[in-house]
Amino acid sequence: MLKSVVRAVGAAVRISSVATSTARTLPLSCPTLCSPSSATTRPFTRSLWMLNNNGASSGYRPKLFSSKALNPSISCGCGSLHTEGDKAFGAFLSDEIKEELKIQKNSNLPKMSGGWELALNGTEAKLSRNVAGEKITVTFNVNNSIPPNFEEEAEQGQQKSAEEEPEIVSSPNFVVDVTKRGAKHSLVFDCHFPEDEVSHAEGEEESDIFAIREVSFQPEGDTDWKENSYTLNTDALDWALYDHLMDFLADRGVDNTFADELMELSTAAEHQEYIKFLENLHGFVKCN
Amino acid sequence: MGVILRNLQKQVPLRRARLRKDVETLRHILGIQKFDLGIVCVDNHRIQQINNIYRKKNVPTDVLSFPFYEDLRPGKMPLPLHRDEQNLGDIFLGVEYVMKQCQEESLDLHGTLTAVTAHGICHLLGYRHETEEEWTEMLQRENYILSEYNRLTGRSLEPLMKRCSQDR
Repeated sequence: MLKSVVRAVGAAVRISSVATSTARTLPLSCPTLCSPSSATTRPFTRSLWMLNNNGASSGYRPKLFSSKALNPSISCGCGSLHTEGDKAFGAFLSDEIKEELKIQKNSNLPKMSGGWELALNGTEAKLSRNVAGEKITVTFNVNNSIPPNFEEEAEQGQQKSAEEEPEIVSSPNFVVDVTKRGAKHSLVFDCHFPEDEVSHAEGEEESDIFAIREVSFQPEGDTDWKENSYTLNTDALDWALYDHLMDFLADRGVDNTFADELMELSTAAEHQEYIKFLENLHGFVKCN
Repeated sequence: MGVILRNLQKQVPLRRARLRKDVETLRHILGIQKFDLGIVCVDNHRIQQINNIYRKKNVPTDVLSFPFYEDLRPGKMPLPLHRDEQNLGDIFLGVEYVMKQCQEESLDLHGTLTAVTAHGICHLLGYRHETEEEWTEMLQRENYILSEYNRLTGRSLEPLMKRCSQDR
């Protein structure tokens, strides 16, 4: 496991965005071939008992399910399966992509202040800067970065008007690596956004904007995480020590301003990746 | 437990360890180490909101105190019966407001925050400044606290109450 792997917060939940026709909530198990609204299902015409065919020599293999949906209904030269369900799915995805592009605030990602350089590798982002000979990197992954409490708000949001629906915010766990010049080890901070801090209601925040969860020394560079390195957990940590660790990070540019900007960056990046995924899915499903 | 410190703002570069250390010194001076205390650092927007909700004053301010014991006689130590009652309450520090004051008056931010916190703790211990008599009593208490603080740390902080007097 690479040093920079970030722990997942929990299952990602997608909810409807402000434009009412988008349906960003994806069920955990997506319907595949038999879309109820579009597939034609044939009732069983044989008893299941009759399918127990002892005549092996007949070479007849009964099929339990025989549905039009399983037979290609759209002629195509590519050789892949294309069903009515796929067609409906493709049309749905077209609309969905259009709506998501409409609500996308900016196709460019927001810039971080403080001279951080950004490198993106799929869903993984790495911010880095140098401060007086020290190298600071902050790594996070937009996967599973939307807190599960959005699901509750989405259910409540069904009663609200479109304008009142909550905006999706990505608040990923992030890992801060601090490496001094010539050192063999980096000081690594595993940080997160406490869940109640992303509440949308005014005046309900009780926690710090971000918090440190664990601290450890790890070999410098992208080597495997050393499990036998002592890891300081902040759950039961002396609060004075915790404050010193937070001040340490703040001196290196990882402060509340940084945390807020990181959330904005992650939210934009996650949305970008979501749209790309929908486009790839559309290309995969659609008959070309 | 102890002192729970939260920094909910990004306008002011706060030194958490320094603020915590100073608050621990104040607690030691007042003999209130066994009581929990909450210190929440907020910006002008948030302190103005709280000021408006609880005091009907729609302006930012430097400190707002929310005592756990609401009817304490000034300076009287609370007598908690259970561990849950070993709590003095919460202090909201309008750090953005204080920073602006410090810039205008060329004062040290963290020193001023400590003086403001001492004022806030006095409120949690039942001190008020609504009447002349209350004001004098609170000023005396703050003078004592900060003179002890100055003696222990070598610094020279002044009570918030002295600045209040300039506004009266």
